[in-house]
Amino acid sequence: MNLQFVVDGLLAGSMIGLGAIGVTLTYSILRFSNFAHGDFMAWGAYATLAAVGAIGAMFGKIAPIAPLSFGWPLIAAVVIGMAITGLLALLLDLMLFARLRAKGQAIIVVMASFGASMALRSLLEFIFTSRPTYFSRAIQIAMPVGFGIRITPDQIALLLLTAVLVLGVHLLMTRTQTGRSMQALSQNAALARIVGIDVAKVVRVTWIVGGALACVAGVMIGILIQIRPFMGFDMLLPMFAAAILGGIGSVPGAVLGGLIIGLAEAGAVQLIGAEWRAAVSFIILMTVLFVRPIGLFGVRER
Amino acid sequence: MSQRVLDVRNLEAGYEPGVPIVRGASITVGKGEIVVVLGPNGAGKSTLIKAIAGLVPITGGTVLLDGSDITAAPAHTMVRLGLAFVPQTENIFPLMSVEDNLKVACGILKPREIPARIGEMYAAFPDLARQRKTVAGNLSGGQRQMLAVARALIVHPKVLVLDEPSAGLSPKFVAMVFEMLAGIRISGVTILLVEQNAKAALAIGDRAYVLVEGKDRHEGVASELWNDPVVAELYLGQRRLDPERDRHSGKGSAA
Repeated sequence: MNLQFVVDGLLAGSMIGLGAIGVTLTYSILRFSNFAHGDFMAWGAYATLAAVGAIGAMFGKIAPIAPLSFGWPLIAAVVIGMAITGLLALLLDLMLFARLRAKGQAIIVVMASFGASMALRSLLEFIFTSRPTYFSRAIQIAMPVGFGIRITPDQIALLLLTAVLVLGVHLLMTRTQTGRSMQALSQNAALARIVGIDVAKVVRVTWIVGGALACVAGVMIGILIQIRPFMGFDMLLPMFAAAILGGIGSVPGAVLGGLIIGLAEAGAVQLIGAEWRAAVSFIILMTVLFVRPIGLFGVRER
Repeated sequence: MSQRVLDVRNLEAGYEPGVPIVRGASITVGKGEIVVVLGPNGAGKSTLIKAIAGLVPITGGTVLLDGSDITAAPAHTMVRLGLAFVPQTENIFPLMSVEDNLKVACGILKPREIPARIGEMYAAFPDLARQRKTVAGNLSGGQRQMLAVARALIVHPKVLVLDEPSAGLSPKFVAMVFEMLAGIRISGVTILLVEQNAKAALAIGDRAYVLVEGKDRHEGVASELWNDPVVAELYLGQRRLDPERDRHSGKGSAA
């Protein structure tokens, strides 16, 4: 068996994991499954693409940072894209989810997120068409790194970026007052208010963090594969499988879950064929729900 | 009574519109006092203090804290206004460490004050200091109450409001909780307390109110209220187990 699947799996796992962080935070803090989360990825990728275009129009053609396929315009554009996606998530909550949450029926919010997902996706198709597009058409040469594994400079950079972001979110959750407030809100919303936590503020932070990370995941897909309106929707099943495998509410769990699913998918492609890729997340999801529904890092509700 | 810290006037409150559970209750708590609210089940004791803490909609009356109107202020602003509430159950974050439970309540303190303030809480509650890394859900019932009270005290509240701190605890822990409250009082904290365990609560309280059908029916000095036969017979269920009363009414035998 060719060990190349390890690199492929880690990359896929990074994208899944970054998305799953948002899913797990929304689920544990706002108590609903946000099926529009995948579309935040696609919106993030397109927002970044548009920002790259705008920067290009303002500053002209800028050479990529060797040996990467992209230069500082993309890096600046990702930051803009993260802000836009965070605001999009916030806006969607303000217009839709917050109003339905006030009525107190979780299933209605879940269904609304389905609707939002379709609307967001259609809007992208309307604006950008459904034809795939790319950040760069340059072809990168993969370097051999031993054991039959090849990796491109872009891939190395993105794996490092994922590690930095995951560490950052973990520190945010465990070392800052905002993070502790998020944990508190997920454990007992009534008590969180009693100890002086402004729930509305914590909810806003949750959406911004989830949206921004979804944007990065979307841009990663855009750099390594391609950008299309359905790119995020296709990530939905693996993202939810990762969040549930890791244990709902756990940031490290979501990332580890993402990596496990990414590796399992990549391994399955080699062993039994690419058409089984999607089945892998589903099988893992079902197995976790049957064997250990609380996930790897999950804790039983007391 | 010296200066009034908490002044509740004709409060009306309830979960549903048109169905008030608290119907015109008036209580005051003076600076440094422990005031106990007693009453039969369903009298609206818990609803009364939850309404004061901003957790139940208020439909009438006013709540003054140190003279300023805090009636129906949002629950999350109460800590900043100077009122700290300890709910009866689920009053800690079970998956967070003891230390994080304290830290998360420090939102209104200046960041550089927080470590010293947590140190003061550990000095006051050595049990918590020993278990600072323990996940709060693994604490014993008594230690949970201790953590909940420490968490409320950490922000220097003007008044500490507790909903049945002894509920569901074994007798050993009940004694521990009341000992703790008596100790807090010595440090000058004003306390408003709702309790089922009338005997223990009146033993540490200064004054008490008896709440019936959502209204304060009786007020008195705590030690005198315990000996008031009318109040005892009408409202304090526990009193019926008192051997002295049994002898007085001519049935049962004194132990």
